[in-house]
Amino acid sequence: MKIKEEIKDGVMVIRLSGKVISGPDLMDLKSVFQTAVSKATGNVLLDLGHVAWMDSSGLGVLVSGHTSLAREGGRMAILNATKKIHELFIITKLITIFETFTDESEALASLKE
Amino acid sequence: MLKGIVLKIPSDDIIVEAVQIFVEKIGLTAGINEEDVTGLSIAVMEVVKNSIEHGNGGDPKKQVTIHVDAYPGRLQFLIDDCGSWQPDADMGHKPGEGEALVSSRGRGVLIARNLARWLDYGLNPEGKTRVTLIWPLS
Repeated sequence: MKIKEEIKDGVMVIRLSGKVISGPDLMDLKSVFQTAVSKATGNVLLDLGHVAWMDSSGLGVLVSGHTSLAREGGRMAILNATKKIHELFIITKLITIFETFTDESEALASLKE
Repeated sequence: MLKGIVLKIPSDDIIVEAVQIFVEKIGLTAGINEEDVTGLSIAVMEVVKNSIEHGNGGDPKKQVTIHVDAYPGRLQFLIDDCGSWQPDADMGHKPGEGEALVSSRGRGVLIARNLARWLDYGLNPEGKTRVTLIWPLS
């Protein structure tokens, strides 16, 4: 898994690629979320457009990130979830708590509200 | 060719990634395409993670055994641990319901069941938990 971070329009954009599955890489993703929470950067847009697969551990990190941000008054939105990842969100009912977008400008505008 | 393969691993999370690579190699050798083989490996990995945690209590001295056999039209995985647990009764919650929806854990069986074409929890001849996972081959 590769992780890229940038601040865009005041929103922290985290772009993931590859497989978001059990392993040491997940610790890096946890750290990125912790940084977002501790720096009070506010809202996070998580771009999953290049994520091939995700397992339950990967989903767990996303849920933790979402919960931690919400606790501090922030929001996390998902951008460009592939069909497979979207199916996972439906299977696990996480679709009911994640805001999902397919257009980056629209997502950023929503997170700036 | 893929007959009687047995992999025994200690109950240690650090080995799980290696199991995923092992299963991908098996799947590719059996002729499963590259996209589907990751789904197979994740399904097996979710089962193995649960066997480590719920079957063996994370005790590295206890092993998880993976038996692999190919038959005409299907690839079969038997995953044995040292416990006698059942996913629905022993996991203590239903993922996606109530507070479990925002839990960071507990979605492995749900994901494995949805990825695998056939997944069944039962007991092996020694009375310990055995998960049977079958993946169709074209």
